[in-house]
This record gives sequence, C-alpha cells and structure tokens, in this order.
Amino acid sequence: MVANTKEVKAKDMCVKRSSPEEKRELSFKDEICVGCGICEQICPVEAIELGDIGAIVRTGAEVPKISIDENKCVLCGMCSVGCPADALEFKLDDISIKEMDEYPSLIKSAEIDDDTCIYCKACETACPREAITIARSLPDRSKLVTGEIEIDKNTCISCGVCEEMCPADAIVMEHHEPTSVDPTVSSDIYVDKDKCVYCLICRKSCPVDAIKAVCRSCSYGDYDLKPEDSEIEGSSFIDDESCINCGWCKEICPVDAAEVKKPFKGELSIDQDKCTTCGACVDICPCDVLSFPKPAESGQIPEKVFKDERFCIYCGACGKVCPVEAIDVKRTDVNYTPTKSKSWKNKMESLKS
Amino acid sequence: MPKHIVSGLKYLTAVELIRDGYNQKEVAKILEMDRSTVSHYLNGRNLSWNSIEVAEIITKFCPRDFLTLTFALLNDSEKTRIIVKTCSKKEFHATVEDSCIGCGLCADTCLMNAIVLDDLKAHIDSEWCCGCLMCGDVCPTNSIKISEEKNGC
Repeated sequence: MVANTKEVKAKDMCVKRSSPEEKRELSFKDEICVGCGICEQICPVEAIELGDIGAIVRTGAEVPKISIDENKCVLCGMCSVGCPADALEFKLDDISIKEMDEYPSLIKSAEIDDDTCIYCKACETACPREAITIARSLPDRSKLVTGEIEIDKNTCISCGVCEEMCPADAIVMEHHEPTSVDPTVSSDIYVDKDKCVYCLICRKSCPVDAIKAVCRSCSYGDYDLKPEDSEIEGSSFIDDESCINCGWCKEICPVDAAEVKKPFKGELSIDQDKCTTCGACVDICPCDVLSFPKPAESGQIPEKVFKDERFCIYCGACGKVCPVEAIDVKRTDVNYTPTKSKSWKNKMESLKS
Repeated sequence: MPKHIVSGLKYLTAVELIRDGYNQKEVAKILEMDRSTVSHYLNGRNLSWNSIEVAEIITKFCPRDFLTLTFALLNDSEKTRIIVKTCSKKEFHATVEDSCIGCGLCADTCLMNAIVLDDLKAHIDSEWCCGCLMCGDVCPTNSIKISEEKNGC
C-alpha cells in the first residue's frame, strides 16, 4: 500500500509519496503563508485545515497557519496552484508543477522596468512584504555645482565660525592647543571642494572677510554643468518569494515603471455597523489594504476600517479572520493558465464566490 | 512450499504462452528462466502435480486475491504482471471519469502498471487491467469505473 510520509521542520512541513515511477512532494513554508485559506477551500479531500489564524498572527504563536493531514492528502497539487502567495509548492520528480504546462497556474506577476524607473524608492518603502530592493548610485555632489572659493590664511583669525556654519561640513580647521612656541589655535584651514556647494554662508559669516567665494551655478550653471553628471543609476529587484502582487509598487510609482498582474478580481465589502474595530483584519492583510482612519477634524467620527481596494488581491484572509463576519470578500474572476483537465478547471472556477 | 506454488504458476503461464504462439526460447525470456527448465516444465518434469493444482486454484481466485497472492509469492512486479495477465481468464473494461484530479494514487497502487497519467487524468489500459479494483479503492474522487467484459465463453 502506498503511504505518505511527512516531515516537519519548525512551522514548515513537507508531505511526500514515492513510487518506482514517480516522486510527489508538497512543501509548505509558513513564513510566506498569508492565512487566506484558499488551500483549505480547494483541497479535494479535506486534508488541509486553516488554523486559528487570528490568534496565530496576533500573538506570533509558534504553530503553523495551516495543518496538512498526510493520511488524507492524495498529493494532487491543487492547493499549491490555488495559493496566491506560493507558500505551498508541489513538485513531481523534483520539478515544480509551475513549470509544467498541463497544470494550470494563477496568472500573477510584478515587474519593474529599469529603463523607466527613476530609483525614487517609493515602491521599496511602500511594499507591504518588503519584497523590493532598489539599489542606486547618486551623482557626485561636486559635479552638480560650480564656483570658486578661497580662504586668505593671512587674514583668517582661526575663529572657526565658518567651520561651524558650513551646512555641508566642507570646511576643516586643524585645531590645536596654543603653546609658547606656537601661539596659534589652528595650524591650517581648508575647503573640501568635493563637499562645498558654494552657498556662500562662510563668506557672509566670516567676521574678518577672509573668504572669497563665488557661486556660478545660477549664472553659468547651464554651460558649466554636464547633464550626464546628474544622472542617477541603479537597478531594481523584486523577491518573487515575498511578492504578493498587491499593486502598491504600481500605484505609488510616479513614472509608471511597475507593472502588476493580479490573480483575482473581486469586491471587498465591510459592514461598518458590525465591525468592532478589533483590528484582526488590519493585522492579517498581506497587502496593507486595510487601516484605521484618523478623523479629519476633531469631533468627527470616521468609518471604523478604511479600505483601498487598489491594493487588494481578494485572497479573503480578512474575511476569514473577522470574528463578527463584518467582512465579505467576493472573487468574481480568477486568472489562470488553461488546462485540459475538467476537474482542475472546475476547481479553479470554484474559487469564484 | 511457496517456491513450489511459484513453479506451478510459471508452468501454467508457460503453457498459456506456448498456446498463444510463443516458442520455448521466448517463454524462457519472458519468465526469466533457463530454456531447459521451460522444456522440463512443459514436459511435466521437475514439478509436482500438486503444485500445479494449487496454482490452478489460485488463478481462479477473485482477481485481487490472485494478484496480491502472486505478488506476495514472487515479490517481483514484472513477473507478477505477466503471470496474472496470461493466466487470468477474465477481461475488464476500465473508464476514468472527468472528475479525476490526476493525483496518481491509482497509478502508484496498480500492481499491473496499467495506469498512466496524461493531462492530469488517469488512463487505464484495459489490456493490462486485471480487475483487482484496488485503484478504485484508493481513488479520492471515485472516478474509476471497471466492468467485467462478458465475452460469451
């Protein structure tokens, strides 16, 4: 009789079945799981049970978000295809079924076009899953300004006012204790021209007019400065494992460099009367769709939970976690690659509510 | 004793194969035996009639018992397949319904290796199906239907 084996490592697990012809393996990564329960819904043999995700997410309890009964699991792989976070991966002979055409897969992606990207990092900051890294190299400051500066060391009284005032920390005085041999407070003073922006504050603040400085950026800037010197170079990276395709990067990008395809379309409705503002939905939402609004004016009563559906992937986690059934998530469309199997097609269609 | 029954089963298979038109050399190859042993078998030597009788009774068991007992005696899936296919007098017709999810449990269970998966659906080769119904027992979606062919004999 063929039997499954199960390996558990911390909160992750792996169910396997091997025959001489084929090896089947389902692995679950708890860290990636968003607790939406689609796997529980899609499993044809009721082998998956969603845990008490509200408590797990809010207390950080050391239990996995789902449980897989290895005695019930038939290793068909449907749960992995339905998972919008790719927390479940199904492999046949060590090859993921995501790479196999006969298996359907959710159509979802997030891409940043480096040619369009201006490396402003808005997406990196906004990404609720910290999946985006923007690496950028900034131009040399000295190449973006032009001017002249000189300190007349004979006139300078080494008061240090310019050093203290310089907003760019470009003036350095070599301070020392005066002695009878050398009764001065400084041995040298110089301007670091890589840092100086010719703002002229030193000149204006010098009590003895020892600094001669002129800024040419305004008058000659267009001639002296090369446009290529002000270019920002960089690259973007999206970690596919963490990315949930929520669309924050696309919505926040000022130059439309990000493109996101979402697996589901739908509707999210919140019954503000039923809501008790417990915040479980806000905590579990992997896409930062939900938040508690602040009143615009004092005395005003805002709605209890605010939603912005532009970021919603309709995974349904908020609806599952809500203890008073105040949230209803409807899926009206499921985007998946075609399959010849009628039973798989029916299952994918059943994700619509 | 088990060895004797195995010899009986091989004898019955050899006789059937010869009847089907194979020569002794081919039979020896199929059953992985010496050609001389096949010759001895066919001439009724080195074999007690008791073991042939017992083997004959086994081939008339219900398909599942015939298959599982043969596999238990031989512990060799390839030879089990050939003996069961050759000695089984019954024919079966297997169909898989569209509710099949392609989990492959049936294919992993089938001792006759009669099942393959294609486009996430099991396909059963009726030629090799021995009617043991073990695939239907493990199928989570109850998608396998197997019926015995009435061939009028």
